[in-house]
Amino acid sequence: MSDDAHLLIGRLGGVTYRRENPTEAYVTVPPALLITDSDGAAWTLGIQYIQHGQVFEFNVLRNDVDTGEMASRIEYRRGVVRIYGIDGWRTWGRARRGFI
Amino acid sequence: MREFSISSQSATTTTGLSVAGATTLLFLNPAGAPNPNIEFLRFSVGQAANATSAQQRIQLVSQASVFPTLVSATPRPLKLSDPNASVIAGGTAGAAGTCGINASAEGAGSKTPRADIDDTFNVLNGYLFVPTPAETLIVPAGYTSGIGLWFPTAPTTLTGWNWTGTFREV
Repeated sequence: MSDDAHLLIGRLGGVTYRRENPTEAYVTVPPALLITDSDGAAWTLGIQYIQHGQVFEFNVLRNDVDTGEMASRIEYRRGVVRIYGIDGWRTWGRARRGFI
Repeated sequence: MREFSISSQSATTTTGLSVAGATTLLFLNPAGAPNPNIEFLRFSVGQAANATSAQQRIQLVSQASVFPTLVSATPRPLKLSDPNASVIAGGTAGAAGTCGINASAEGAGSKTPRADIDDTFNVLNGYLFVPTPAETLIVPAGYTSGIGLWFPTAPTTLTGWNWTGTFREV
């Protein structure tokens, strides 16, 4: 099956996700399963976790690839992916290399 | 502690599975005592298909016999190279000590909704339920009902669904 060029195509759990548009603003993982950004990347929280008292952080996955970051939630706001953890908010850099 | 996942990806798919309609996505019936209890840690449901925005209801239920007719799905260990299998085996009948996915028949047993998940989500965003430790669902060994995650109403688009349940034996 060929895809239209405009489709946003990401990967989550070994499955290819196709979307017409990026996720709406203020959608948060959880309770959402995924966020699709303007590059088409699918963001979610993985199953690896660390516990800080009563707070749990999970590994942040982008297209099934571990970003090396841990967070309690992922949010999409103003076209930017943000994660929240014990270190506060961090933003996915415009260079798409990591969170700053 | 030993953790396992039951997933629609147990079947070989890169696009997700089609569901029949109002369908049990995942069903697990704990084994009898003295086997370990089952503690559910996470449920997720997503739709890979490029579908139209729609709200979808999701519910966690307990179901007594008669159980759903399922596609067998063997729990996979989360720990890499774990040499030990789960006490839960893949099965198609929902019998004690088995689990399966994507029911083709719901079975005559009544479904009793649980308070843990009775929710609605947008199909474009999917649904991720991660209870805090005090809120995890523990199903005791020998429990006479199975636990099912299901769509009480049929989704608008039936194709491209993926789901996972994660549990540990305690």
